[in-house]
Amino acid sequence: MAATADRGFRLAAPVATVLIVGCVLPLAVLFVYSFFRVDFVAIVHDPSFKNYVRVANSPTYRGLIGQAILSGGIVAAVTAVIGYPVAWAIAKRVVFAKSACLTLLLIPLYTGDLVRIFAWRVVLGAEGVVNSFLMWTGLVREPIRALLFSPFATHVVLTYDYLPFMVMGLWLAFESLDDRLLEAARDLGARETAIFLRIVLPLTSPGLVAGALMVFVLVVGDHLTPQLVGGSSGITVISAINDLFGTAFDWPLGSAIASSLLLILGLMVTVAALAVARSTWGRAVLGGE
Amino acid sequence: MVPADGNDGDRPRAAVLLEAVGLAKTYGPVRAVRGVDFRLPVDAYVTLLGPSGCGKTSILRMIGGFEAPSGGTLTLDGADLSGVGPADRPVNTVFQSYALFPHMTVADNVAFGLSVKGRDRAEIATRTARALALVRMSEMADRRPNQLSGGQQQRVALARAIVNEPRLLLLDEPLSALDRRMRKDMQIELKDLQRRLGLTFVHVTHDQEEAFALSDHVIVMNAGSIEQQGTPEEIYRRPATTFVADFIGGANLFPGRITATADGTATVATAFGEVAAAAVAGLSVGDSAALCLRPEVLVPRPGGRIPGTVRHVVFQGADWLVELEAAGRIVAIRLDAERGPEPGAALDLDFEPAAAWITAGTVDTEAAHGGNG
Repeated sequence: MAATADRGFRLAAPVATVLIVGCVLPLAVLFVYSFFRVDFVAIVHDPSFKNYVRVANSPTYRGLIGQAILSGGIVAAVTAVIGYPVAWAIAKRVVFAKSACLTLLLIPLYTGDLVRIFAWRVVLGAEGVVNSFLMWTGLVREPIRALLFSPFATHVVLTYDYLPFMVMGLWLAFESLDDRLLEAARDLGARETAIFLRIVLPLTSPGLVAGALMVFVLVVGDHLTPQLVGGSSGITVISAINDLFGTAFDWPLGSAIASSLLLILGLMVTVAALAVARSTWGRAVLGGE
Repeated sequence: MVPADGNDGDRPRAAVLLEAVGLAKTYGPVRAVRGVDFRLPVDAYVTLLGPSGCGKTSILRMIGGFEAPSGGTLTLDGADLSGVGPADRPVNTVFQSYALFPHMTVADNVAFGLSVKGRDRAEIATRTARALALVRMSEMADRRPNQLSGGQQQRVALARAIVNEPRLLLLDEPLSALDRRMRKDMQIELKDLQRRLGLTFVHVTHDQEEAFALSDHVIVMNAGSIEQQGTPEEIYRRPATTFVADFIGGANLFPGRITATADGTATVATAFGEVAAAAVAGLSVGDSAALCLRPEVLVPRPGGRIPGTVRHVVFQGADWLVELEAAGRIVAIRLDAERGPEPGAALDLDFEPAAAWITAGTVDTEAAHGGNG
């Protein structure tokens, strides 16, 4: 047994090394920088919490962090609502073309985000597909400018972009959902609503949580979409960090914002994971004792 | 078309709980159930017995409301069940896989049916506790299904169904996942539970021993049709077809043709000669039939009617199981003796004509031994 465990460690060593060097180390450097300050064009190694105080006291940065979290939440919720029936259909109704369906779902991801974003500009723009159709039907006289370059456009595109991640999470959960349980519930007198709320939702919630976490984190980290279709609302906390590292040359402040964001996300993920793990259904569904 | 059950006069008759008329189920080209008729009485233990794929589970699923019949009708307490979903039938099911909700405790599983019907908390608590006590699972109320053994899960599944006080309880091969010992114990418990509750149980199984141990009424099925229904004794002693005779208790069948019939008896010409015996109704001269001799009916007797050669001898504790080649078939007998016969020895068999039975149908020649060594 000991020998097996030892071999396990040795086999894991290369991966662990890559993770430490490629992921933890840069983050650690970033974290250390967040305590320094900038003097004109030089970074002064003079540790303090000043940058964090600045972030906490700045309505702009607080607002941007809040906005990122809100967007993540909204998109996670919308993708969950859209993704549920899609995932259910792929898992439970599609028999022969299941892998084709899953591939189709992922095809937009192969095209790259810029292509997808410009495609949406064609759809939502003043002379785009939606506006042309609305004007043709006579429902509107002038194109609706707010369709593009607005928070609405940003969220539509973000939802489109990250829906596959939600569907994937939910699909896996639905695949392991035993249909006989639904039959048993029906036999015991449950209507469809009760079956969904008391059997399907709890048993697919690990997929929902996994999908929501992926979508949430990806949305918070996305700055290209808001920038290209969000118009004046396109400034995000990520683009602010980008500006601080680039043009403003204030690495310590940028690092402080990034670290704050990371800390908040980490806390939210931990709380979500604990909530799932502590609940009766969480333990049952995830198989732990 | 069907006269109302209430107007049947004062003829004493067991009240009919469920009636199937011409019940059929087809899945694409497969005719799983080919138009069967049966009646289930109130307060009875009924088994649907047959080999896998005979359509017994399809019938159960149609009674439960999970499948719509392709033809025929089902009436429960005189009311047509067509278009009534599983949630609205006073019928509950114990599933083969138990189908317990893994994210709920035992108590929550049992309470589920009452809870979705909106009963008040106090009633749910009392009835759940009573159902758990009935299956001796009160101590496990706070466990989750994956912390229970197969037999315990089985009990929870039972409690979850009977707590709703259904008119009919369906059990789909409920004991198949248990080991032999557990199965015996559960059989006794099931039978006992049925008596105490006064419910009608419909139990699907492919195990003849299980069916006999439990049932008041057995429906034997084969290839989507009912071969015979009746009490276990009737089915064992008076099998209507060669299928029933072979499937139930492994009768020795000697095929032949009917040469004469009389009231309740017939004469069949077998490979070892003509035999007159009690026979199933409806046989006429020239029909394919078989003489059915249970292993315990055949006894060795020098100069007996059926000369045979011993093939295998198996010690079974109480007696010997002897397999012989006789009249072109493999024949099994039970021998209560100090020593079993040697393989290869000649052994002539005979029987009391009163213990013989003539049944309808052909005999599967696959069952006969090649005979050429």
